[in-house]
Amino acid sequence: MTAAPLLEISDVNVEIQSMPALRGFTMRVPQGSMASLVGRNGAGKTTLMRSIMGHLTPKRGAIHFEGQDLSAYPRHARAALGIGYMPEDRGLIPQLTVEENVMLPLWVTKGIDKTARLDFVYEVIRELTEMRDRKALLLSGGQQKLVALGRALAIGTKCLLLDEPFEGIAPALSERLSEVLASLRGKDLTVLISQSDMNHSRSLFDLEFTIERGANLAH
Amino acid sequence: MKALSHPLAMLGIVLAFVLLGRVLPAWTLSLATVAASNSLIALGIVVLARTGNVSFGQGLFYAAGGYGVALIANSFGLTDAVVQVMIGAVCGGLLGLIIGPLISRYTGIFFGMLTLALSMVLYGALVKTTALGGSDGFNVGRPTLFGNVFTDPREADFMLYSVSVIATGLAGIAATVYFRSELGLVSLAVRANNLRVEYLGVSANRIVAINFVIAAVFAGASGALSLMAQRHIDPQFAYWTTSGEFVFVAILAGYQSVAAVFVASLALELVRSFSNLYLPNTWQLVLGAFLLAVILFLPRGIGSLWTSANRKSDQPDAPAPGAAVTEPAE
Repeated sequence: MTAAPLLEISDVNVEIQSMPALRGFTMRVPQGSMASLVGRNGAGKTTLMRSIMGHLTPKRGAIHFEGQDLSAYPRHARAALGIGYMPEDRGLIPQLTVEENVMLPLWVTKGIDKTARLDFVYEVIRELTEMRDRKALLLSGGQQKLVALGRALAIGTKCLLLDEPFEGIAPALSERLSEVLASLRGKDLTVLISQSDMNHSRSLFDLEFTIERGANLAH
Repeated sequence: MKALSHPLAMLGIVLAFVLLGRVLPAWTLSLATVAASNSLIALGIVVLARTGNVSFGQGLFYAAGGYGVALIANSFGLTDAVVQVMIGAVCGGLLGLIIGPLISRYTGIFFGMLTLALSMVLYGALVKTTALGGSDGFNVGRPTLFGNVFTDPREADFMLYSVSVIATGLAGIAATVYFRSELGLVSLAVRANNLRVEYLGVSANRIVAINFVIAAVFAGASGALSLMAQRHIDPQFAYWTTSGEFVFVAILAGYQSVAAVFVASLALELVRSFSNLYLPNTWQLVLGAFLLAVILFLPRGIGSLWTSANRKSDQPDAPAPGAAVTEPAE
């Protein structure tokens, strides 16, 4: 790996209500790579992603994105750096349509070609075109995952953080999701996907990080 | 229903209501004036409720608008009704601009209680300020319109009615356009989850502050309208029961429809007037029963009568704004 790291986590310690959730976790995700973050439930995968997005503040250590220390950016300013985050529970806005959900981060971000991004999302996830006018609350769980991925893709011009995208969806949809993710290769996107097992498309990834009780697990 | 929600169609409806004032009996005219003025401030509460926050202290901006207009009218002899509404809106808005960014960091009950506390601070200050008439307040002159002085009470009432309906109607049209705009939809997202939207680049505080200022502008203008109708102002404008009444209207209306705010305000005024007339000792009981009935049978407010029919129940059962509680993310 010679590429410069797009995302660099250095010795990060995070506590949730005084309980250590991340304990000196370190990770370097090179630009353009597809990385997998594997760990059991409660290992700290979601905590790590939330720390990157600014919901949790590290007690020690630093998170760098494109060489910049993210601690200087408030929570709501991080998406505009080009980071698209898809939470495990999707977090769609039920009253808004699929298209409005996808557009939401674009509305509040300056200097981004909204139409081009939306077209790109529809091109990568064709299914969204058909359901663009449907309210998010009318969709099945699997469809919602696709919309949440589309929304992350809309704003994530440089990096995608996908929290357990394969969790709790039908096998057919899971395959489709792998297909979509595989199609992102070569689009200059850095993708970090967390999973609790490695059953899903091992071939998809360039590199793998294992997290165990909030710390790196040596291979 | 869709055709009616076009801004031009809505403007037509507003003008039709103004003309209707020509044939309405005198007692209905003043009742409708109060209802229109109250719905303007309640509309502001609905705008704010769309971010998941309820203000229990809109009386603060209502009084700011009222006192601002009254002081300027008495000092500079500015009596034009339209100018007074604008001054009221500016006074409310300026105060909103100061308080909004500070208060937007709070959510749910803390937000509501802070607004209530601030309005009561102003109430206390006004009661103690003898220069402003203390608890008795002071009077202002009769409003004029574009240089015309209205001496005939019927004409004066109609002028007030027209100004109230047009001001509230324009605010209603602006709110409808705003609700459909990107910023309006982002407000709904903040209501759904104020922490989670920050991952998408939305500053929830900023959105709440913007909606708060809009609500303050509406409240200030409403205070000016009320002042014109009563030609007297006192600290009661900032008292918590005054604010509570507007929250009443907002709860009755629900947060989904602008038209519902006007219907709710008129319904409340009608129920209040008739129960006051026929049951002078127990009218509050009737009012309470009416509110309970609406909450029980129309938990999403009067607006749900036509918005659900329109959208074929594609909205989840969300509580009315008064009951809105923002769920924090884990």
